[in-house]
Amino acid sequence: MKIVDYSMWFFGGVILFYMLFVIASYCMMFVIALFDLRKRYSLDPSEYDDAHIDAFYSKPVSLLVPAYNEEVGVVDTVYSLLNLRYPQTEIIIINDGSTDNTLQTVIEHFQMKPVNKIVHTNIQTKQVIQIYESEIYMNCILVDKENGGKADALNVGINVSQYPYFCSIDGDSILDEKSLLRVMKPIILSDGEVIAAGGNIRIANGAKMQFGSIYETQLSRNYLVIMQVIEYLRAFLMGRIALSKFNLVLIISGAFSVFSKKWAIEAGGYSTDIIGEDMELVVHIHRLIKEKKENKRIEFVPDPVCWTEAPQTLGVLRNQRRRWHQGMFESLWKHKKMTLNPKYGLIGMISFPYFWFVECLGPIIELGGYIYIIVAFFLGDIYYEAAILLLLLFVIYGVIFSVASVLFEAWSMNTYPRKRELLRMILLAFTEIFWYRPLTLMWRCEGVVRFMRRKSDWGNMKRVGIAKKEKSV
Amino acid sequence: MIGLSIHFLLSVIALLLVLFFIFVLYLFFQRERENHFLTARETYIKNYSQCWYEYLFNDEIFSVVLVPRGRAQVEAIEIIFSSYLKNIINENVRQKIKEFSNVYLIKFYAQDLRSKRWSIRMNALYRISELHIDELLEACKKLERTNISETEYFQLLKIYSSFQPDLFIEKIKVPNASYSESEYRRLFVLLEEDVFIRFFDEFDRWPANIQYAVIDTAAAKKNMKYIDRLKQLLTHDVTEIKIRALKGLFEIGVIDDIEPFVPFVTSDFWEARLMVGKIFKHVPLTYTYSYLELLLQDENWWVRSQAAKTIAEDREGLAKLQQFIASSSDQYGIEMAQEIVARKQGNR
Repeated sequence: MKIVDYSMWFFGGVILFYMLFVIASYCMMFVIALFDLRKRYSLDPSEYDDAHIDAFYSKPVSLLVPAYNEEVGVVDTVYSLLNLRYPQTEIIIINDGSTDNTLQTVIEHFQMKPVNKIVHTNIQTKQVIQIYESEIYMNCILVDKENGGKADALNVGINVSQYPYFCSIDGDSILDEKSLLRVMKPIILSDGEVIAAGGNIRIANGAKMQFGSIYETQLSRNYLVIMQVIEYLRAFLMGRIALSKFNLVLIISGAFSVFSKKWAIEAGGYSTDIIGEDMELVVHIHRLIKEKKENKRIEFVPDPVCWTEAPQTLGVLRNQRRRWHQGMFESLWKHKKMTLNPKYGLIGMISFPYFWFVECLGPIIELGGYIYIIVAFFLGDIYYEAAILLLLLFVIYGVIFSVASVLFEAWSMNTYPRKRELLRMILLAFTEIFWYRPLTLMWRCEGVVRFMRRKSDWGNMKRVGIAKKEKSV
Repeated sequence: MIGLSIHFLLSVIALLLVLFFIFVLYLFFQRERENHFLTARETYIKNYSQCWYEYLFNDEIFSVVLVPRGRAQVEAIEIIFSSYLKNIINENVRQKIKEFSNVYLIKFYAQDLRSKRWSIRMNALYRISELHIDELLEACKKLERTNISETEYFQLLKIYSSFQPDLFIEKIKVPNASYSESEYRRLFVLLEEDVFIRFFDEFDRWPANIQYAVIDTAAAKKNMKYIDRLKQLLTHDVTEIKIRALKGLFEIGVIDDIEPFVPFVTSDFWEARLMVGKIFKHVPLTYTYSYLELLLQDENWWVRSQAAKTIAEDREGLAKLQQFIASSSDQYGIEMAQEIVARKQGNR
């Protein structure tokens, strides 16, 4: 019996301190985000947009669209890129040996014609089969290559690109027309001190869209999707904004991010042996910055909006989450020597420990917390109270933060303007700790296991297309 | 102890939930208010945009109904003015907008300049600059004396640059804040020619990002008066300045003498060689081919590529490239020439 007592006290203590630490960190980041967004509240952004729409003030950007079996979404993505308000871009679609009709769809839709073009090989990649140029859009290129994974496709895009900055966009994402202009803002205004910037990602399921433009945002009816909407808001408010303020960002979403080509090439491009190639590139660039003792920054920009399709079924979501977690683990592991290494400044001393402790190991401890609560209820007595205490912390951690994020977003950005939608999100946030949270925790733990067993796959999710009608779970 | 903590946490959660509830009510109230505001704004635009058009473009008599009553109508007028200012270049219209703003909008922006909120003050500064409300210049100077942010100071500089250029130059000499090149360009592009040229006179006293912005702005203005100034910079000690001057001269696009550019064909910096390759686009191939042939065999890919493109643009270019392919032993140069020839032929 004593062993049970000791282990219950020990695990209870660990979980309790973990929860308190995480709640305190989230509170801090939330307050920083609050002040940041509060400052900008009601500022008219159009002045900046109009001033920088001229090529004279901006820098040209190559837009890379890696596509593997994206025949459903790729055309809309390219249209959204053609709709962008930005003075100088080139669109490079990279077909990574798709087995569906992606190649044919793009060729037919944009009247692609094969061209002879010498590719400047900055990064070693799989073989390029053919390069095409659109006959109707001068700045649109299609590269057909052997299958090598998303990272390899992006590296080909970097090699083919001619501009000093590139922006990677997922084949299923839709960009707001001003998003590139705004994500480039820190890069342009800092005279190159900011060498990479990531935009805010939103979930497009349920939105109304035509020819690559979202013309009406609408909350999805699918509960799983709504939970992901809330989760994105949380990540945005309780992480990215605050971390970015202190140059501590380790993740800028691969669905929409801009990098300086020079730095990306120096980092060896996207890593092809790692699942989370976008995170790995960010971490690698941070590492280079510190090793070269350069004064450079990587930023997260709160307003640029990239709309992406979220998984609508448990199976696809499970696959996505375990991949993300595995990718995060792999990236941190590859650069593990940065952890608590003063040579790497705040990245090594704060970001790395935070990501290891809260983001990577968090799911294991949290899942342990759920199991602890169940066991403690059965053991009764004093543990009964400990279980209630933990449960209340879970409520703060899960419910309170989620509701606060939803409300704060509604106040500052108002993406979903209908009252009914706001109420729906708030009500659903209350259910999070009972079903969504434990499920994602389990999937993330699976990611840890997969990392240990070194499993990998391309992990493309099955698209139904953003504009398609969805079914409720 | 645990009992106490549970009690404490329950109280925190209950308190937060009550706060959330109040916040939800506030949000709903705020949305209602926003909707009213938007409706009032749209109604004004719907009712009076035609009147505005008649007044601004057809010289109709100004009607007092156009005078804004309240913030929603001010915003509606901002939208109407902004659409005209961005899309139409008409001095008469600009003057009318300026006169109206200086009389009827001034009190709103003066009040905004005194706001405690940074975003409200910024919006007011944007409008003062956009609508040319020079009556508020003194209020702007007063704002400068308070504890303002760098972004506000930038907007003030922008306002000074159009309302009082001498003050602008005076301010910019004192390094109160450092801005990026792109921001300096935004300031310089608005300057009158006689004010802007003064930046060349004192070129070496400016910090690097102002120097770069001056060169780039001169290029963007495409004014032939700046050609000599840029040519003088080709002998500057700083390589970056030389390269930018080359770029500026390429963009202005008037080359009467290739001599100043010839030394750059063998420059140690590939960016300079690339720019010469571009500049030679504006000169007949007979004068430049020998240099371009050298550049076509350059060690740098971008230089080779540019040289091939420049040659191909000339009427005799394709023949010259084919001749190069047949006679040269430089494999990289041949490949580049082949690619450009294939492209050119494919486009026919």
